This record gives sequence, C-alpha cells and structure tokens, in this order.
Amino acid sequence: MNVVSRGIKNALRSPLRSGAIVLMLAVSIGLILSMLVARSGIDAQIKKDQAGTGITIRPAGIMDFSGGGTPLTSTQLATITKTDHIASTSATLSDQLGTTDTNLTSAIDFGSFGLRQQRFDSSSSTATSTSMTTPNTSPADSSTTRSARTPHITVSGTTDPNSISTDGSKLNITKGATIDGNSSDLIALVGSDLATKNSLSVGSTFTAYGSTITVKGIYNTGNKAQDSGIIMPLTTVQSLTSQTGSITSVNATVDSSSNVNSVVSALKTSLGSTADITSQAEQAATSVASLKSIASLALAGVIGATIAGAVIVLLAMIMVVRERRREIGVIKAIGGSSRKVIGQFVAEALTLTVIGSIIGLALGVAISGPMTTSLVSSSTSSSVTSTNGRPFGGPGGMFQGGFNQVNKNLTAVQSTLTPTIFVSAVGITLLIAIVGAAVPAWFISKIRPAEVLRTE
Amino acid sequence: MLVVKDLTKSFSSASGNVTALDKVNLTVQTGEFASIIGKSGSGKSTLLSMLGALDIPTSGSIEVDGVDIAKLSAAKQTAYRAKKIGFVFQHYNLIPNLTALENVMLALEFGGMPSKKRKARATQLLTDVGLEADEQLRKPPRLSGGQQQRVSIARALANHPAIILADEPTGNLDSETGKKIFDLLHRLSRSEKTTILAVTHDMDIAGKTDRTFKLKDGKITV
Repeated sequence: MNVVSRGIKNALRSPLRSGAIVLMLAVSIGLILSMLVARSGIDAQIKKDQAGTGITIRPAGIMDFSGGGTPLTSTQLATITKTDHIASTSATLSDQLGTTDTNLTSAIDFGSFGLRQQRFDSSSSTATSTSMTTPNTSPADSSTTRSARTPHITVSGTTDPNSISTDGSKLNITKGATIDGNSSDLIALVGSDLATKNSLSVGSTFTAYGSTITVKGIYNTGNKAQDSGIIMPLTTVQSLTSQTGSITSVNATVDSSSNVNSVVSALKTSLGSTADITSQAEQAATSVASLKSIASLALAGVIGATIAGAVIVLLAMIMVVRERRREIGVIKAIGGSSRKVIGQFVAEALTLTVIGSIIGLALGVAISGPMTTSLVSSSTSSSVTSTNGRPFGGPGGMFQGGFNQVNKNLTAVQSTLTPTIFVSAVGITLLIAIVGAAVPAWFISKIRPAEVLRTE
Repeated sequence: MLVVKDLTKSFSSASGNVTALDKVNLTVQTGEFASIIGKSGSGKSTLLSMLGALDIPTSGSIEVDGVDIAKLSAAKQTAYRAKKIGFVFQHYNLIPNLTALENVMLALEFGGMPSKKRKARATQLLTDVGLEADEQLRKPPRLSGGQQQRVSIARALANHPAIILADEPTGNLDSETGKKIFDLLHRLSRSEKTTILAVTHDMDIAGKTDRTFKLKDGKITV
C-alpha cells in the first residue's frame, strides 16, 4: 500500500460520485479530441488550398463564350511565359462549330435553358452577323431554320490537351492516343459523347472549317459539356479559324505557392487591362476564409472543453478534499508529509481522469469524423450558392472554378487522428487532472493538523 | 525525557486575544504514565497539540530527549511526528476505507519501514492489542469503538515512539471498555518503556497514573 494505490483506492470510494465525474470528464475529453481532430483536418485542407500554383489568364471581358473582348496575342503569351517564377504555361483558343462549319452533330440538346439563351442570338443575329469574326453562327440562316438548330460544338485548340481536363489532372483518353498540342496537323481528340453521336472512332475523319480532320483519340471526362467537345492543337485551330496568334485562355503554373501573389501582380502590371487574371489560391480564398473561421471555432471548442474539464476536476477535487479535511489532518498527525498527501490526491484525480480519458477518447474517435464533416459542410453550403453561378461550362481549364474548389474542400477534409493529436489530448487532460487535484490538496496540506483535528 | 518550559500559546479570535496556555512548565520521565486533567477549555488539547508538533507555540520550549521540537523545520516536525510520537484520539481517527491492518501499515510507511516488513509488524501489533485475525482485515466502520481504539493504539505504537499522546482515549467508550483500554495503555507503558501522556477528565483513570497534572485556565495548578 503506497501513495499511488491509496489514491486509486480512494477514487473508487464513492462509485456514484466517481461515475458522475468520470462521465463529465469523458464528455469534455471527447470534445477536446474531436475539436483537435477537426482543427487539424481543416488546417491541412487550408494548406492544400493555399498551395494551388495555377493561374488562369483570360482576355478582359471574355467569360467562356459570353461577354466580349479581344483575344490575347502571341506577344502577350510570350510576356506571360517570360514572367519570373512561371514554371510552365499552356495556351488555349476556344471556338464553336456551327452546323455549316462541320458535318458533325452536337451531342447536346438545347433544353429549356439553352433555348432561352438562344433568344439573344435570334434577335441580334442580323445586327451582329456581319461584324462577326468567328463564323460560329451562320449569318445566312433564316429565322425559319433556326428552330431546327442544334447547339454548337466546342472546339478547344490547346498546347496541352491535359489542361482541358475538368479537375486539373491528366486528360482521360479512352481510345487511341493523345495529340501533340504543338503540332499543326489536322488531327483531333473527340469527346466520348460526340464520338458516340456521330459514330466516330480512332482513325475516322470529319469535316470542320472546310478541312478534313482525323480523329486520333477519344477522351472522357465525365462532364457532359466537355465530352461533347473537340480538342485540337492550338496552331491548327488558329490557322483553320484565321486567328493566327489569338489565345482565349492561358493556364500558367507558378514554381511555388508563395510566389503566386507576386506573379499575379506582375502579370497585372505587364498585361494591364487587356486580361483578367485569376489564381487558384484566389479562387480558394472564399472557401479558405470559411474554413479558417471553422478552424478558429474548433480551437475555441478545444479551449472551452479544456476549461470545462479543468473546472470539473477542480470542483470535484475541492469537494473531495474538503470532505477529507479530517483525514488529511490524521495523516499529517501520524507523520505523513504534505508531499504524500498531495501525491495521494493527485493519484486519485489521475485515476478518475484516466478512466474518463479512455471513455472520452473512444467517444472522440467515434464522433470526430462526423463532427468534422458536419462542421465543414454546414458552413460551406452558404458559399457554394455564391460561387455556383456559372451555368454553361465552357471549354478547357475554365472548369476549375470556385464551385469545384468548394466541392473539393468538402470531400477532402478528412478527420485524421494522428499520434500528435492523441498525445496532445492526453497531455492536456493529465495536466488538468494534476493541477485540479494538486491545487486544493496543496491548500489543505498547508493547514496545521491541529486546526483540522480540533473541529470535532 | 520530556521537558516543557514556559510554554505559552495564544490565539487571536474575534473577541480578542485568548491565551490557551500560559507559561506551562512540566517534566515527564521516560517510561512514565502521566495524566492531564482539567475542565473543557482549560487548554488540555492545546497542550497535547503542542507536544505532538501539530501546532506551533507562541513562546517557550518543548524538549524531547534534548531536542526543542518547537524550533524544528516543517519537514523535521513531520519526521518527529512519524517516529517519536504516537497519537491516540478520542474519536480514533482511523482512515475509514483502509482495513485495520492497512491503518497500522500506513503509520509504518510514514515511519520509514521497508514495505516488505510492514505487514508482519502490523499483524504483531494488532495481535498484541487483542484484535483477532479476521477483525484485522475489517474496515473501521465494521469494528466496535473499543476495537477501533485498540487499532489506533496499535497504530500509535507502530514506530516505537518515545511518547504516546492520548487525547481522551476512553472518552467515547463505555466504562468497562474504557478500563480495558486504559489497562492496555498502562501495560504497554511498562513493557515498551514508552512515556504516555493522557488527557482525561475521568478521575478514576487519572488516579491510577504515575503522575497527574491539573490544568486550569491554561496553567498547571498541581
């Protein structure tokens, strides 16, 4: 029988009270743990979001196929490529094939949305047709044939076919092989939906812009708008559409995430008002901001739960110590040192805390996953609606918008229970227990035993 | 030998300074069984607290075998209580969730006895004071008053103390049990050569001790 075993024995002296203390501790420890887990999951996600090194440069005023403006030039592309810290660039020229440009049929039906958007074309077609530089609609069409129209087929001329992939990863080629974006041959990758609609396979040919194009591969992105499109080398599209040097989108990669901001401002200076520049980090900013607020909320939760746990232990031990004033007096009278008295109470509090911790940790492991998910989804759902306003998916690279970013955040916040978190949760708890027991016991051990024994 | 010189203890209370002990002088020889009698409030318990180093005197000295315990450091006083003093209280003051055996072993632990030897020594002590083997494994609430006082005497004797301080050791017991407990203390003082100082207001008991000090208003009158 020593100090420790006496402490453990004392912890089990009043099962009902000990049970209540253990339960309260377990809840607060479970909370501490789940908040720590949530916080680290969110922190990791923030880091990942901010680490995005992609920059998208578009001609000012052009958003997909809406808006208006002048495409970027090859000189501007050279300026971008030469900017410090830019590791690589890929350029894209987007165009649309109307029914007179090609023998292909679009794989997309207008639907009520598409039809509504067409009302601008029909009302303004005569006014704009003459000044149109790109023959994406046929000025010769009369209004009677308009009702039978099909949507345009998107053509992306790009130096890097992979940049067309919706999620920024490598383009998924299902049949054939990818094409060289720097080539000027009459070759193309065809989206799987368009290929099915027009019975195209590797090696087949189709007509576009009055030329015969050979299909080199079929790709699939899982995105209907994308899979109804065509990808060709940039130079090919530029020459076919008589837009030599024109570019509608540049995707640039910065060498390090810390340089993104400086590159963006450098580009803004060099390109001036002719281009709209967005960085992945910038796009992530909205969701990062909301994630940051959750992270600080989680931290507040950790602090709150820690304080609650500390108060529970402190109050419980004050109660226990007061109740055993006399016993402490006796122990001191028969020669027990203050150190032994404090040690005994610390051992008692530790016993309660350890039992509480085991239950609390189990509880924390069980709830931290769902809690992190619910914390993140409930707070980002509001930002989803604000970034969701891009109805028609344009071509390559432009899909990596805010919506995807938020979506990615939602799924990527994985609550990970690392050893560090485990150790810090246990450490915080033990500290609470030691302080919670030592403080009241220290006060009482300072009292001279005569005072305690006199109160009979 | 216990020598108390000019021992004074005063408390400050709401009604002003109260002098509980006023220049008390007394000497008790080693192995002597002395009693202190007096009405309640006469300062008996205060004197015992001073002798047991449970409280610090306002002035004066308490010498046990030539050492002034009032001037010892807190740590030394703890050691003094553990090794030189045995306490027997009116209310026994056993630790309620420890068995009789463990209560005695607790005192042995504080006295610095190696853990392996404690159990044998505690069993011996409890047998000496008349506790059966099965009673030794009971917790205090399941023992009678007399049995609890026997345990507390065994605990007081555990570390071969120089002095046993007994505060109304029979005060809570019926007269027959009280007599047995007194006889036990008396016998031990003879066999163990332990100085015993017992506070009592039972004149019968006081009359049987080697020497009796009478306290009145904090002063020794006899």
